[in-house]
Amino acid sequence: MGRRDPMAGLFLALSLPLILLVLLPLGNMICRPSLAMMVETIRDPEVVAAIGRSLGFSLTAGGLALVLGTPLAYLLSRKNFWGKRFIEGIMDLPIMIPHPVVGIALLSLAGRNHPLGRALGRLGVEIMGTGTGIVCALLFVGLPFFVGTAKAGFDTVPLRLEKASRTLGAGTLSTFFRITFPLTWRHLVLGLVMCTARGISEFGAIVIVAYHPMTAPVLIYERFTAYGLKYSQPVAVWLIFISLMLFLVLRMLSRGTSPVRS
Amino acid sequence: MIELDHLYLNLPGFSLSDIHLAVEEGDFFALIGPTGSGKSLILEGMMGLMPFDRGRVRVGGRDITEVPVERRPLAMVYQDYALFPHLNVTENIHYGVRYHGIDPDEARRRFDRLVEVLDLSRILDRKPGTLSGGEQQRTALARSLILNPRVLLLDEPLSALDPSFRDEAKEWLRQIHQALDMTLVMVSHDFNDVVYLANRAALIREGRLVQQGPTLDLFEHPASPFAAAFTGMKNVWPLERARAMGMVPRRDLDPAHSWVGIRPEHLLPEPCATADHRFSGVVTVLRRQGVFTEVGIRLAGGESCWAAWPSHSLGQPPLTPGSRVGFGVWDSALHTL
Repeated sequence: MGRRDPMAGLFLALSLPLILLVLLPLGNMICRPSLAMMVETIRDPEVVAAIGRSLGFSLTAGGLALVLGTPLAYLLSRKNFWGKRFIEGIMDLPIMIPHPVVGIALLSLAGRNHPLGRALGRLGVEIMGTGTGIVCALLFVGLPFFVGTAKAGFDTVPLRLEKASRTLGAGTLSTFFRITFPLTWRHLVLGLVMCTARGISEFGAIVIVAYHPMTAPVLIYERFTAYGLKYSQPVAVWLIFISLMLFLVLRMLSRGTSPVRS
Repeated sequence: MIELDHLYLNLPGFSLSDIHLAVEEGDFFALIGPTGSGKSLILEGMMGLMPFDRGRVRVGGRDITEVPVERRPLAMVYQDYALFPHLNVTENIHYGVRYHGIDPDEARRRFDRLVEVLDLSRILDRKPGTLSGGEQQRTALARSLILNPRVLLLDEPLSALDPSFRDEAKEWLRQIHQALDMTLVMVSHDFNDVVYLANRAALIREGRLVQQGPTLDLFEHPASPFAAAFTGMKNVWPLERARAMGMVPRRDLDPAHSWVGIRPEHLLPEPCATADHRFSGVVTVLRRQGVFTEVGIRLAGGESCWAAWPSHSLGQPPLTPGSRVGFGVWDSALHTL
């Protein structure tokens, strides 16, 4: 092993508070509940249902982001068109807006006082207090994570590979599925995982759009306000554990080397 | 075979103007010019990857100006080969087969032949990232050639190669042209490569066609000081200055010509008793370029010129800056332009 690197030491010292800021509260919370309480919590059907809903709604939002966000990310990466910057700005908005505002905005659009809300109602689509509303809210807040990651993935594929494919006879769609997609699927999966993880942690928008059916963050909030810290912690720990699993998957996926060389 | 009919293209900061040229069937045609002159843009336009603002592109008499890229009877090999990094060599070569309705048996036959001709048998299972520049180039060639295109476009095919592979790669290209009897259009900024490979060439400068014709014509009869400089004719003077130097051919001059040029290798080192013109001067600089050495000479009247002489023939004792040197010139070696 070589000499000491003073800069690395300084940077590590400066990084330590940040690491502790994340690690200490979470570590403390994870260590608080006893094993028996953890087991009891996960046997509680209400907890399992809430965590299941959180996962289900978040994965649905992630899946929708994958299907609808992939073409958008591709267009933003590959094409120059009028209004592109505006759309890029819109895609970043959900990160900046307070999430209860997202819920209020969705409700005001989907309520009975708005033509769109009435039209949706006639089609049997309800937003207020439904899973559909929750998925809408999660898609809203998670889309920037998917589109940003997918666009970064498309940016790594040199345009000349797509051009070369076309010169060999492949059409644009065929080129997308045989060249662009195989070279970016890792980014798309990362985007999906990030969008889903963002959905699992969402509280502000959901609590406005649909307090029920209850998702895990809402259940944690309810148990905290009704019973206190002791009864909300085990649910939170289970949610953290599941989020951690998701991020481990994310890390494993991002560890693979990209086949595209610069 | 290929006709580019008065093509125009305007881009921010660059434009192609009135590109009009013809490539005959079986030609090895070169588009040459300095970096940034627009030659690769012309190639992309021919392929349909960059639509021209005006003008028509015809192949075999058929107007393909509006034909989509994937349906043009052309194939293209990129400067960096653009091999698909997630596919191995075999998969790369077969990539376009399905789009051209090639019978599987026929595809197999073409594949086997190309693998043999291009010596690819040892690398068929490898991914592009593990290949040398030469192997990548041969794979890219095979990927295009398996489609049996009427015309193959090559964008700077030699520039990404290690110098040690260049001669080998040039030989591959020549063999392919001869063995497959096809039309090749190559973009290059190196006139030496063009002289070796191409039978016809067009010189491009800042988006405009400067001169086109048989490659040797370009080499021997450049039509402008720019063409002369690009083709290696390092000695070019305005007519009046050449007259003052005595560097003017004795034959009747074309009144339209206002420059005189001579290639450095056409300055003959002494003894050259039979030369038509004799000069002497002082060596100002020596640049060893391998087999040849470029010798800068200041003539008695103060003008300078360059000679390119075999390094082994530089005299004993060898020439050094400050040495006096004499040389001769054949009248026929003096070009007016």
